[in-house]
Amino acid sequence: MLSIKNLHASVEGKEILKGINLEIKAGEVHAIMGPNGSGKSTLAQVLAGNDAFEVTSGSVTLNGENLLEKETEARARDGVFLAFQYPVEIPGVSNLQFMRTSMNAMRSHNGEPEMNAAEFMKLAREVSKQVDLDPAFLKRGVNEGFSGGEKKRNEIMQALLLKPKLTILDETDSGLDIDALKVVSDGVNALRSKDRAILMVTHYQRLLDHIVPDYVHVLADGKIVKSGGRELALELEERGYGWLGIKDDATAADAAN
Amino acid sequence: MKPAPTLLSTAFLHPAGQALPEPLLALRQQRGAALVDMPLPTRKTENWKYSSKYLKLTDEMAISLPVDGKAGSALAVPGYKVVFINGVMIPEASEYPDLNNILIQRFGDLSDAEASELAERLDSTLNRKTVQLAGLNSARFEDGVVIRLKPDAVLDQPLFVIHEVTAGASGSAFPRIFVDAGRNSQMTLVEEYISSGQEAVMVNTVTEFTLAEGAQVTNVRLNMDGENVQHIGATGVRQQRSSRFESHCVGFGGPLRRHDLQVRLEGEGAECKLNGVVVTQGTQHYDNHTTIEHIAAHCNSEETYRNIAADKSHAVFNGRIHIHPDAQKSNANMNNKNLLLTTGAEIDTKPELEIYADDVKCAHGATIGQLDEESLFYLVSRGISRRDANVLLTMAFINELVAQVPVEAVKETVQARLNQFFDQAFQEV
Repeated sequence: MLSIKNLHASVEGKEILKGINLEIKAGEVHAIMGPNGSGKSTLAQVLAGNDAFEVTSGSVTLNGENLLEKETEARARDGVFLAFQYPVEIPGVSNLQFMRTSMNAMRSHNGEPEMNAAEFMKLAREVSKQVDLDPAFLKRGVNEGFSGGEKKRNEIMQALLLKPKLTILDETDSGLDIDALKVVSDGVNALRSKDRAILMVTHYQRLLDHIVPDYVHVLADGKIVKSGGRELALELEERGYGWLGIKDDATAADAAN
Repeated sequence: MKPAPTLLSTAFLHPAGQALPEPLLALRQQRGAALVDMPLPTRKTENWKYSSKYLKLTDEMAISLPVDGKAGSALAVPGYKVVFINGVMIPEASEYPDLNNILIQRFGDLSDAEASELAERLDSTLNRKTVQLAGLNSARFEDGVVIRLKPDAVLDQPLFVIHEVTAGASGSAFPRIFVDAGRNSQMTLVEEYISSGQEAVMVNTVTEFTLAEGAQVTNVRLNMDGENVQHIGATGVRQQRSSRFESHCVGFGGPLRRHDLQVRLEGEGAECKLNGVVVTQGTQHYDNHTTIEHIAAHCNSEETYRNIAADKSHAVFNGRIHIHPDAQKSNANMNNKNLLLTTGAEIDTKPELEIYADDVKCAHGATIGQLDEESLFYLVSRGISRRDANVLLTMAFINELVAQVPVEAVKETVQARLNQFFDQAFQEV
């Protein structure tokens, strides 16, 4: 489904991604782990089309089509969904209006009729229950005054509505208490299917207890330095990143003790 | 040596329309005399600093537009309405209830005694030194409507006053409204300014409100004049004890748009709420000047204005709050936010606070910004088109104010006009 070849990207002239290679097939769940500053979030943003990042070389295809030449909105309509690490607050645009505009943009792209306000409201209420978000949040401004956990649940709610082909989770687990983590994980697991793929970017292996990946990759200094199965995450949990020759703040701190 | 100032052309000093009661003709003449040798505003004139260059008072503009009596494109408004064409009220096109506690009268129909009383009160709500060009209306009005609400009278639905100019030839119109709201009376007055025809014209308006104790008046002012219309308007308000005045000004730009809104809180416990939304594009202009005079103690004022400027347009906001020495426990809040949609657009904003009482709460804030890139990325990353994302964020900027406009028909008109604006401002590339 997703094929990343020798991807280089930089921000403000500084190279962050230094040759990423990654193949994700339909039905698979991949986790990318790595220390802070390794380029995990950059990879997520580049795939979604944030033009603050410049792709300097390499290629990315989604189902055979060149993803990099498409605008952000076109990527989204093709089925790429990024659950943001820090979802933006947009006062003055109601969550409901935002989600319906998004849903209808996708539907009209797919040649489906638009949903009217009443139909969408009904659907949104159901899905909000699935992520344990009070329907009152639908009436509020997008993410306005939401807690960290509420923002993350709001992201997963959008994924459940849009049913993307490729869901990218950028540190979706950070800042969640165990109950919220469970709710979010259940939401993501509900997205798993043989024709969809999930790419999780995370700092902690905790999330992987709930969303069990098929593959785990370790990203360090802009490159994938090790790939393996589920057991790689456990090993990282136990041994830190040091044994891979990666400098990590946490590892360095451990060593100092 | 300073160059001699350009004076108002004498061509402006010849009022038409003599069918007014004697006391009003006398007032007009007196105001006209005061305009002789009036220097026109320049960029050195503080309250016209950013707008004088848009003002074109040519001799052609001095001609009174003909009164043809045809209600041209006057909006099909449901309910009560008073229609003015070129500054003169058209009774056949107007519809309002015949109620004995609410009187709507043309200036021309007033008895000499009534006219004499009115002449005493016209201009009494405005500071004539700071709204120089309202003097032009006082010298030139050919007609007007006085609306009187007797004590406790409640108008059961909004009264629309539609001001249309039919610009078949160059010239000016000088419509005038005076509202006298008695004790504990209530009404909503909607002023809509529209135009037809293409010639360069000017509309010079004065609307005045006096609110007796406990009166509650809501004024909606919608400016939809065309690209050929210079609009210079003034609204004056005087409020007695515990009265409440609410204003919603929504305006779209033009070659010159100027509105002065002056509110005097003269009785304890009076309060006003002033909302404003301005949208400009192309090379349009819009200038709002507001003044709130806190004269009595325990009064509240709340002011919120938003400007959106696209292309190479220019918006101006000047908000003055003046708290007089006896106005203890005043509570004044002024907020002005501005959105520049392009780098070529310009917005000038200036809050002015003058506070002479020591026990008051007074806050003001002004910001100028652009649409937030992060928010745009978030929206498009959900498949929303750039155009729609821009529209959502721009609407978010004014939603709150548009939603507060208390008349559904006006809201619909505004939304339709905004959609046109968005189509031009956010063309898909």
